[in-house]
Order: sequence, then C-alpha cells, then structure tokens
Amino acid sequence: MTALPILEGRYAASMDFYPQQSKEFTRIWPFYEHLKQGRFTTTRCRACGRRSFPPRAICSNCYSEDMEWVDLPTRGKVLVLTEEVQGVPLGFEAPLIHALVDLQGEMTMFVRLVNCQPGEVREGDEVRLVVFPIPEVPQETRSGVIKQERVYYAFEPVR
Amino acid sequence: MERNVCLIAGGMSQWGVREASQRDLFQEAAKACFEDNPAVRPTDVDGLIVASAFTERCSFQTHLAPLVAEQLGIRPRSVCARVELLCASGSSALIMAYGLIKSGAADVVMVAGGEKLYMPQRWEVFYSELGTADREWDGAQGLGLPPPIFAMVAKQHMKLYGTTEEQMALVAVKNRRNGVNNPRGQFRQPIDLETALNARPIVSPLKLYDCCPVTDGAAAVILACEEKARDLTDRPLVYVRGTGQATLHNMSANQPNWTTWEALRIAAQMAYKRAGVKPADIDVAQTHDCFTISEIIEYEDLGFCEKGEGGWFVQEGKSDFGGQVAVNTDGGLLSCGHPFGGTGLRQAIEIMKQLQGRAARQVEGARFGLTHNLSGPAAAHTVIIYGRDKS
Repeated sequence: MTALPILEGRYAASMDFYPQQSKEFTRIWPFYEHLKQGRFTTTRCRACGRRSFPPRAICSNCYSEDMEWVDLPTRGKVLVLTEEVQGVPLGFEAPLIHALVDLQGEMTMFVRLVNCQPGEVREGDEVRLVVFPIPEVPQETRSGVIKQERVYYAFEPVR
Repeated sequence: MERNVCLIAGGMSQWGVREASQRDLFQEAAKACFEDNPAVRPTDVDGLIVASAFTERCSFQTHLAPLVAEQLGIRPRSVCARVELLCASGSSALIMAYGLIKSGAADVVMVAGGEKLYMPQRWEVFYSELGTADREWDGAQGLGLPPPIFAMVAKQHMKLYGTTEEQMALVAVKNRRNGVNNPRGQFRQPIDLETALNARPIVSPLKLYDCCPVTDGAAAVILACEEKARDLTDRPLVYVRGTGQATLHNMSANQPNWTTWEALRIAAQMAYKRAGVKPADIDVAQTHDCFTISEIIEYEDLGFCEKGEGGWFVQEGKSDFGGQVAVNTDGGLLSCGHPFGGTGLRQAIEIMKQLQGRAARQVEGARFGLTHNLSGPAAAHTVIIYGRDKS
C-alpha cells in the first residue's frame, strides 16, 4: 500500500497515539521531564491535599491551581495479567502484555509489560517502571521547525 | 408541565460488514423506521438527535446531525444535534430526546444512530480504539481495545466468585440462538456449547464467541409526546418510564472495583426509582453483552440476582425465554454486532416490539422492559426502563 501523497513525510498529530508533552501543548509537561529522570510523578493539591492521577493543572476537589509534584512508587505487584495475541493496535507488537498493577497500595492501574516473554510474568510478580524514547515530534514555530524529544513509560519484570 | 413520552416507531439497516457509507446506513435505518409505522412521515418529525462515536475518525465528518437531517428529508425545528457516549451514544441520545419531549421543548423526535467501522485498511478502526479509553494514559499503554480489559475483568470474576468459562460460553450460546430470529443482525447461525468452548482464543479467557464483532450499521427510533403518539400509532403505546445514567471515573487508575460496577448499580437504582418498578418486575431486558462476562456481571448489578451468582443465573436458564427475565432476546451485541451509536436504539426497538406483542420471539405478556449500555472501560452506565402502562 502507498501512503497518501499529501502526507508524504508529514507528521499528523491526529494519528499519534502518544500525547503531546511539551509546555506549548500541555500544562502537565513536568510529568514527562520527571519521566526522563526516571521519576514517576503526579500532582497533589496544596490547598486541599487531594492527590490525583493522571496529573492535572486544576484540582477536581477544590478547583485550586496550586499544585505540587509528588513521587509515586516505581515498583509494583501484578494483580492480573493478560496477553493479547489478536488485533494488537498499530504501533504495538504482539503479544501485547497488559497487567493490572498494584503500586505498593497507593494505586492500581493498567500498564503494558515489556522486556519479557509471554508466560514469563505471573500474578504476584514484582514489576518496575521502565522509560524509553518514542518518536520525536516536529513542532512548527516562528523560527522554523524544532524537534521535540519525547519519552514514555511501561513496566518490566524485576529479575 | 411534565408529559408522558412514547416510543412509536423503530427500524434498523442490515448490520454487518456492509458495502455502504455512513450516510447510506443512516438512510437505510430511517427508511426501516418509517416503514415500521407508515402513519409517521418525515414532516411529522420536529427534532433529530444523531448518535455516532467514530464519525470523525472513520468517516471524516463532523456536524453530522444536519447532514443526516438533509439525507433523511427531515427539517428539524426543535432540536438538531449529535450525541456521543461511545457504546452508549444511542441510549444517551434517546434519554435527551425523552427529556426534551417530557419538558415540552419538542413533540416528535427521531433518534438515529450508527457507525461505519469497516475501513479499506482494517488497522484504522483498531487504532482509533486507542482513543476510547483515556488516550494519553491508558491508550498510550496499548489499552483501548476492549478484549484485554474484559479478559482481566473475567479473570477476576472467576477468581472471586468461581464463574466458569462454560457459564460464559452459555451466554454466547443463548444470544446466538436468539439472534437466529433477527434478520437484520450480523450473525444468524446458532452455536453449541462445544463450539463456543473450543473457539480460538482472543484474549484468554475470552474466546471468539465471547466477544462481539466489529460492525457497520445504523438504527432509528421515533419518540413522541403521548398526545401526538395517540394520533400517530394504532399499536399499544410503549412509555419511557424511567432513565438513569452514572459514571464515577474513567481512567483505569481510578476504577476501584472491576467486578462490581458501582456506576451501573447507581444508574439502575435511579431508573427503577423513576419508573416505579423493582428488578423482579422486569420481563425482558437488552443488556450490554459486549463480552459474555459483561452480561453475567450485569445480571448481578441490575439486581436480577445476588453478587457472584451471575454465572449460575445463565446456567439455570433464568435469563432465557421462560426464565426469570429474558435477556438479549434479539441476539444482543454478540449476534447483532455493535455499531456503537446504533446499539442502544436496536435495544429500544426490540423492547418496543416485545411490549407491543409483536417481537420475532415473544416474551409472553411482557409489561416492563429494560435496556442497559456500558461505555468505555466499564466506566459509564446507561439504563432505560419502558412500560406498557404510563404509571
């Protein structure tokens, strides 16, 4: 199949499943800066103390905008996991391993497990945060196109 | 001034893999809807609410309601807008039409919903599904397609309550059997238990027949205030008795419990209260069987049985014809397919026919019917209760 000529070599944000991470496009850009340092963080409201995930610019409890960044655990335990073999979305490789992970009692969430083979990780196993580069984004500015470096995260088994 | 609201017509296009565009499908659904009740003409309709979730992603089309109105020869003057709540878009649109008519802001409203999901490249719809969960957080983890989410729901329900793969398969067998009677559904072949249990795995423990398919299709219904309804139909009136809609969270990190859907319990309680009925009063229900495990949890959280007994409920035939409450009598999502915006309206059509005594396979003497949708990662729930009596 040939791509549409009009898109030849062009970046389309509407086809990018990773979020925009720069301060020009999101108010929670520090999350991604912290990620580059290996920190998994979120916001806590200084006015009412409510911690949120995902991080946010405005507290949903008291609507204050006085937020601070706090660290979340980078290790957790697998509660349930499942291996997707069919219909894995573009950009992900089969088998796509999803796990519901308990982050030391602070939070449970669905994450992708990487750097492991199917059948290798079991319920109860320990996993840890892993940060990796993802394709950079060309951003048009008045002084030309700049490349915005990006990272994202998944979890991997602790061996 | 509160008015009673009735469902007076409904029809659907052929559902499945269709050689047709989104606008073709909406026209087919509206044609079937007007044919269902020839007394109603497009000029009698004063409002149109359109339900579609993937119109921008898969048809590159926004401002859909005026486009559909033009296609259908309807000239709305009370309401003309589109509603999106993914898998519950159709039911949400229906709730809004109900509210407008009840309040006197509209008299006769068509609700039309549907999707064109089969694209020249199959990957596009799966890719777009990454935007159905929280795209920046869950979607970027590869989560968005429902099967892995519901596979993990199933694993936990099996662990907590002893639900079996066989009980889940029985939901598929029942709904496929019911779907044989539905000429507009995607699948009309029954399956036996052995076939369901030996089907290829999709995401363990879910196998092929545990999952609803990807579907092109549309459906349309017409709602009217009671006064207009008496003019526009000779059939028994079917009243919208009560509605409920609830959501408590969206992202996976904020879902406290994957096997008890608190938002469904809240939505159901609201709908029962407003309708003045109890779970035991419901004769026929169309619930959101996107996966077999979903229907099992819905028996529990809709109050048809106790928590953890959903697997036994289907195994003992309580959700079949002749049981406690006949569930997914038209084949459900598992047989009919699931063009997101169309599903809630397909459910409404089946309940209307059941309460009017003209269903393809009739639940004898049905007086109360219920429809339920879940949307997103089991995050939002929509319940509508219909009755043959106004109160």
